[in-house]
Amino acid sequence: MLATITVDDEKCNDPLSCRKCLLICPTHVLGLGTDVGPQKFRETDPSHFILRGVRFDKCTGCMDCVEACPQNAIQVSF
Amino acid sequence: MCVWCDQYAGGYERWYFNPANYARRLYKIRKEAAEALGAEANPQEAGGMAIIGREFLEARERNDYEAMERMKREAEQMAWGTHFGQVITLDEALKVTDIIYPISLLTCACRRSIAGLPDEENFTCMGMGPGMYKWERWPDTYRGGVHFLTPDEAKEVLTKLNKRGLVHSIYTFGTPYLAGLCNCDYPDCAGIRTVVDFGVRGLWRGHYVAKVDPELCNGCAACVARCQFRALSFAPTRNKAYIDQLQCFGCGLCATECDQEAITLVERASLPSLANVW
Repeated sequence: MLATITVDDEKCNDPLSCRKCLLICPTHVLGLGTDVGPQKFRETDPSHFILRGVRFDKCTGCMDCVEACPQNAIQVSF
Repeated sequence: MCVWCDQYAGGYERWYFNPANYARRLYKIRKEAAEALGAEANPQEAGGMAIIGREFLEARERNDYEAMERMKREAEQMAWGTHFGQVITLDEALKVTDIIYPISLLTCACRRSIAGLPDEENFTCMGMGPGMYKWERWPDTYRGGVHFLTPDEAKEVLTKLNKRGLVHSIYTFGTPYLAGLCNCDYPDCAGIRTVVDFGVRGLWRGHYVAKVDPELCNGCAACVARCQFRALSFAPTRNKAYIDQLQCFGCGLCATECDQEAITLVERASLPSLANVW
């Protein structure tokens, strides 16, 4: 069974600094990326960073990410 | 709960805690030809292995996936009726010693035939139940003799073998009757070898899955050497042990080794993706 992982971008406001879910996931399912492509000659502003579920084959449904998120931004369902 | 618990737990938490699955006449007056599969299977024959042979390997070499799958399924069907195993944790094995009688320590057939271990170093197999009384009739099966143990002695042996790094598993001799309490490792144990190398489920995953607490793990990597199922690796990037929970068989050898108590066993049933992965 593959997990459906939803992240509320309004609640997840600074994943680049926070990273709590990435550090807690035992099987490294989640990924940090941006909602804009790479931009020449400048760093992407932190506000454009987003968090998504990526490696669903490894998601066991332990819900550690859901509990770890201080903003309750993550939902995991099957 | 696995399918064996569904069928044979009889109200107990697990099928291997149900005393009824240890109560059987595990001996025959005369060795007959192989009988029907299932509970009345000839227990002597039921101890045989080598269900994956050269034919399978040749199919694999020529990438004949259909033939491979067919042979795997055939081997599994035969094993599940007569002789297959399931991984249990040390704690579960200790509990089992309180409900079985007699308990015996004998030499391991796998290790004798594959590793050529001399009998004195090969007492790693534990037999359960009245089948052990017939050992004098078949001295070759029980080479080195059989030593009967008290429950406390059995617990001591199990704890010692766990320290050594052997996986505890219970094996049927005519499903659902349990008579083998094995202490296995890769590659000599046929059960582990065929499931890890070929995906043939002669050995089922246990009811637990191991999990590393990244806050407690100090990166010593002592656990990595313990995994017999290739589920544990070390991630230098994080300086932490990494457990592939899909692969993990829940034996707990990593957990019993960790000085920091950073590894715990969680119930397989609590993880939706793994609840039906056996």
